[in-house]
Amino acid sequence: MLARAAEKLYWMARYLERAENTARLINSTTHVLLDLPLGASFGWTNLLEIVGLDDLFHQHYSQTDEEAIMRFLIEDARNPGSILSCVQYARENTRTLREVLPAEIWERTNGMYLYIKENATIACRSRRNRYMVLDTIIEQRHAIVGLISGTMGHDLAYQLIKLGRNIERADMTTRILDIGSAVRFPQDNVLKEALMERIWMSTLNSLSAYQNYRRLVNMHVHRNDVVNFLLCDDRLPRSVAHCLGEVESCLRLMPQSQQLQMNVTELSHRIVQGHAERLDAPALHEYMDWLQTKLGKINDALTQRYFHAYDNGMPPPAPDQAEIEFAEQ
Amino acid sequence: MFTMQKLVNNTMEITTSEYADSTAYDELLGTDLLPRPVAKPLLDYLNSLDHAELAARRQAVDATIKAMGITFTVYSEAGNIDRTWPFDPIPRVMARTEWARIQDGLKQRLTALNLFINDLYNEQHIVKDGVFPLEVLAGSGNFRPQCVGVTPRFGVWAHISGTDLVRDRDGTVYVLEDNLRVPSGVSYMLENRQIMKRIFPEVFRTTHILPVDDYPTQLFETLAALSPRPGDQPVIAVLTPGIYNSAYFEHSYLAQQMGAYLVEGSDLVVGSDDVVYMKSISGLQQVDVIYRRIDDGFLDPDAFRPDSTLGVRGLMRAWKSGKVGIANAPGAGVADDKVVYTFVPQIIRYYLDQDPIIDNVPSYLCMYDDQREHVLANLDKLVVKPANESGGYGMLIGERATQEERDQFAELIRANPRNYMAQPTLDISTAPTLVDGQLAPRHLDLRPFVLQSDRLYATTGGLTRVAMNKGSLVVNSSQGGGSKDTWIVQEEDS
Repeated sequence: MLARAAEKLYWMARYLERAENTARLINSTTHVLLDLPLGASFGWTNLLEIVGLDDLFHQHYSQTDEEAIMRFLIEDARNPGSILSCVQYARENTRTLREVLPAEIWERTNGMYLYIKENATIACRSRRNRYMVLDTIIEQRHAIVGLISGTMGHDLAYQLIKLGRNIERADMTTRILDIGSAVRFPQDNVLKEALMERIWMSTLNSLSAYQNYRRLVNMHVHRNDVVNFLLCDDRLPRSVAHCLGEVESCLRLMPQSQQLQMNVTELSHRIVQGHAERLDAPALHEYMDWLQTKLGKINDALTQRYFHAYDNGMPPPAPDQAEIEFAEQ
Repeated sequence: MFTMQKLVNNTMEITTSEYADSTAYDELLGTDLLPRPVAKPLLDYLNSLDHAELAARRQAVDATIKAMGITFTVYSEAGNIDRTWPFDPIPRVMARTEWARIQDGLKQRLTALNLFINDLYNEQHIVKDGVFPLEVLAGSGNFRPQCVGVTPRFGVWAHISGTDLVRDRDGTVYVLEDNLRVPSGVSYMLENRQIMKRIFPEVFRTTHILPVDDYPTQLFETLAALSPRPGDQPVIAVLTPGIYNSAYFEHSYLAQQMGAYLVEGSDLVVGSDDVVYMKSISGLQQVDVIYRRIDDGFLDPDAFRPDSTLGVRGLMRAWKSGKVGIANAPGAGVADDKVVYTFVPQIIRYYLDQDPIIDNVPSYLCMYDDQREHVLANLDKLVVKPANESGGYGMLIGERATQEERDQFAELIRANPRNYMAQPTLDISTAPTLVDGQLAPRHLDLRPFVLQSDRLYATTGGLTRVAMNKGSLVVNSSQGGGSKDTWIVQEEDS
């Protein structure tokens, strides 16, 4: 597998995952907003903070109403994380990967791009259209994932796609988990209780984890249980631990990956043993930041080891200290 | 006296007024505007569709092309790197018996041209024997001194070629141009058939249409035969200039169809052992054969243009030491010069001792005094072409030019006679093309592809390019050209 193609595959998967996650996040937030008591301060700007795009948004928009934020998250080409941008990047990558991907994947990705391009504007106009368009995007993305697992040879190219998908997914789960820290709770304790439950329910919903949670953990939504479930429960495909497990199994099939495998395993252990659910809101927020940095380091290690190993015309270096120690604090 | 004639019922209309004005040979219709025998099943089928049905199919074609993402790139449109491929759903039909003769002619021509190229870079017998003038060689912009003394495997230089054919008013098929450097278009030939099968599946039951889809396999085998490590499964790479190249779609398509790697220059390195390596995630991996889709000049900054960033430093060294096969071989373009073209009939006779099966368009060489005088005196009737350009650039169509343009061109010819040749303006053939729901005559050509290494193969048919604008003779996709599916059909036994 060509190093340049490997990088494009990996990013294609990340972009598609990001597009889907953003669509999910918007849809579930819309739902929770409808249920919120009037005194609550949770709003669309919190969403921007979660995905880490608040600064970029304020550079381009003076208004912070729902419509502006939707335009920014769905169709704004100036936002590299908007759904349209993500699908467009994924399509451009797929175009250059046609020799390693089944032909249908190109047609599907191209079709998804044509759809979002045509419908992004109406999706920003009303909540009803928005739900329908975003739901279609999620569906189309699932068709692509289905094609990948059902028609593609489970070779290195496949592992790279899986790697990209799971790193992006783990990253998004940590961001969504951070939702609680973005909410300013009202003084009233009764209101606060109700609001918290709503927020955590929405968190589970945006990860399609609510039903699983109720079945596997608890009928009642408790913050600590939710945090633990989303971080550590291997049965949930979007939990950080599960994603890291997938990353590890992909790495096992990649050349010269022993060190990186060990690092990922180590990180998984730390998460499971870390009892992050016992942290208070500010500490949890810091913990999520730390996790995101770690995921970033896995990304950097992949880039250095596989994608850009030859940038200086040199053979891939032996794992360096930074790579070896990346799982250390 | 023509009237609005209907072929059978009340459906497919032919724009008889345009046909009345046309003097060209039509590929599907006789002079009486009745279908030629090979085209009858097709036209009968088209007649069975009513207007609404045809319009729906036309829309389905456009939607399919969009969904399949069949595109070509236009340089001038910044930001918009792909445009959908213009496709006309009415196929061009040719009888298998006629095609068999053309196929023989193409194979004959390429065999001779490859012998010629190898001779030019080695002993130059053809020059010494006085058949090919040294001055033509001396003036060739595509002769590469870097290649002198090399004999690639099988003595073949042009492994993949595209030969442009046109049919004149009397039905004769001529070779208009040989493309021996990096001919493009074969992916569209293959995709056009896919589109037709998706949108008009019924029509494939009315006629026996020969399949075209063995090309990728043939191309793979042709390239594999060039591997310096015969016996192993060779590593084949398609070398592309990248996504902004007009033929990028084709580069990725062919790589996909062959299961080859699609690489850019920066993905490759040549080691001190003269082996070409690919930067893979498992380390450096040896590349055996490169199907390059970049011009000679950009291949290797050490050997050609030092400023090139598209190529690979040391590639010529690797090729000359036999560590990698390159198709087409560097320097193959020497025979794809419009002046060299005029010598092809003599080249065929010289190397093969045969008469050419397909004729050249009669041509005048400006380097000879008498022929130049004829050209200068008849500029208003001739098409003048420069030796080393392609894609219709730098050409004069005398009939359509102003006196001023012709005068300017006369100056160019006098200043550098070796660089120009001229041909009479041909009345190239038409085929019915769907324009606003009716069938109107549009001019077209045909580009078949020939492969040569350990084997010799010519495509079944080729890419039919059609000038979509009324009266236009320009079939290039960058200038309003489109394409059609090309059917070679088995005639009924009679």
